[in-house]
Amino acid sequence: MHDSLYHGPPEGGLLVAPLDEFTAVYHRASGITHLLTEPAPQILAILGEGALSLDALLDRLGLDYDLADGTREALAARLAELVESGLVERA
Amino acid sequence: MRHSFEVRIGPVGFRIGSDWRAPIAHLETLYRDYPKPLDGVPDFTVRLFARRPWRRFLRPSVEIGGDYMLPEAAPLPLRQGLLAAEMAMNLQMALGARRYLLLHASAVERDGRALLMTGISGAGKSTLATLLAARGWRFMGDEFALLDPATGLIHAFPRLISLKNDAIAAAEAAWPTARMGPLMPATPKGDIRHMVPDARAIAAMDVPARPALLVFPRYGFAPEIRAVQPGEAFVRMTQASTNYVALGEAGFRALTGLIAAVPSVAVDYPDGASAIAQVEALWAEL
Amino acid sequence: MSDETRSYQDPADHGSAAPSADGVGAEAVPTRRRVLALGAVTAGAVVSIRPALAQTVGSVLNCEIPVPDPGRAGSYIDADGKVVPARTKGAFPPSSRPFKGEEVKRAMANGSTLPGTDSERSRAYVKYIRRLQRGQGGFTCFASLQMPRG
Repeated sequence: MHDSLYHGPPEGGLLVAPLDEFTAVYHRASGITHLLTEPAPQILAILGEGALSLDALLDRLGLDYDLADGTREALAARLAELVESGLVERA
Repeated sequence: MRHSFEVRIGPVGFRIGSDWRAPIAHLETLYRDYPKPLDGVPDFTVRLFARRPWRRFLRPSVEIGGDYMLPEAAPLPLRQGLLAAEMAMNLQMALGARRYLLLHASAVERDGRALLMTGISGAGKSTLATLLAARGWRFMGDEFALLDPATGLIHAFPRLISLKNDAIAAAEAAWPTARMGPLMPATPKGDIRHMVPDARAIAAMDVPARPALLVFPRYGFAPEIRAVQPGEAFVRMTQASTNYVALGEAGFRALTGLIAAVPSVAVDYPDGASAIAQVEALWAEL
Repeated sequence: MSDETRSYQDPADHGSAAPSADGVGAEAVPTRRRVLALGAVTAGAVVSIRPALAQTVGSVLNCEIPVPDPGRAGSYIDADGKVVPARTKGAFPPSSRPFKGEEVKRAMANGSTLPGTDSERSRAYVKYIRRLQRGQGGFTCFASLQMPRG
């Protein structure tokens, strides 16, 4: 669990259209459109560069952004949502 | 199918076959100024049929069929045969259209730009389009607006305008010389009467327009205008499109492109005159 | 490197919103170390768009719902809306005719009874209808009643 890696879609696997606080995303593999709000687009962008574990992702987000009082549990919940929607795979 | 009729509406050609003469006679009359399908080849077939041979005569009941069918469609009595034909054409478009992204919206055009109006039944899409057309806008359609994924342009689909209940009188008042179909009282959707679009709308049906404003009207409220955020507008339009999912990637690009290019506005209005005034004011500010 | 995401805005404008008449929704370009809210554990950040199948049926067709669906014709409906074998004690026989979309909508909205039924039987039928799944006869008609028709 501690070491599982989260994978985003392969290169070219997503179409991304930021709208406002929401971002529309088309997942080519499934043909499903999702509406995302932060931090989901940011998570996907980082995972697009390579698979990461939960802790590595948390660290990377902390480098790029000020996470304020965001918790590891909250990030885990966001990843669970992304996995459930099919946008992220956990291996 | 002993009776048939062919017609082209915008870029879409239909062939309607019927077990009865009456609905075809109505279609021939009301669509008499419309062109035939391009090269004589229709895009969709519609069938109005009797489930059993004797139902052609005994309590005649019109079943709706065609290229695309839904098993749960309920039949209509023959006196509402014209409504059955129009619903059947809608069904073919809703389920089968792939060339254009279908938006459940009315559309009118001015100076090459299109105003789209979308919303739930009763919000006023048809009525507003009819009223605006009476004030010099070119009528493009009251049920579906066709968005071309390749160009982002809106193509007209000027079917017979389907007016319900109170809207019938309002439209007749705005267009006293318009040709009307039969009044069909007490259909599953209330009293219905069809109005033939004006000559200008028919003549210009092949001229697309660049979308410029997306309006979400709401009838029966004090006048108010609110911006609709792009995210909300996008989601509402995915629900207002019958073939968004079927078009896949092209649908996504077309719809996000539309939302990115066009402001979305909610317009609450108490009556037609107020709606017209608000819409004209918004258009002037573009 | 991040070719897999493609923005429809000016590529330099990572988070910029669509232009609009009111200038609303313009999001600041994310700079290093801006605040990113991870959200509460119970909050949501992902919504999947469901196909508007119901819109199709609701807006273009006059539809009806048989009770039970034709695939299980002859079966009875128990008080919980489940389909049970014919003549099960305490269960209700199938409806003699399908119900129109409008009739079902009314029954669900204000609790009136479905035509031709008494209140207990109507309740059982309504529960059956609420349990319909995609692929069962009447589902698309039922789904169209749930969504606002446009």
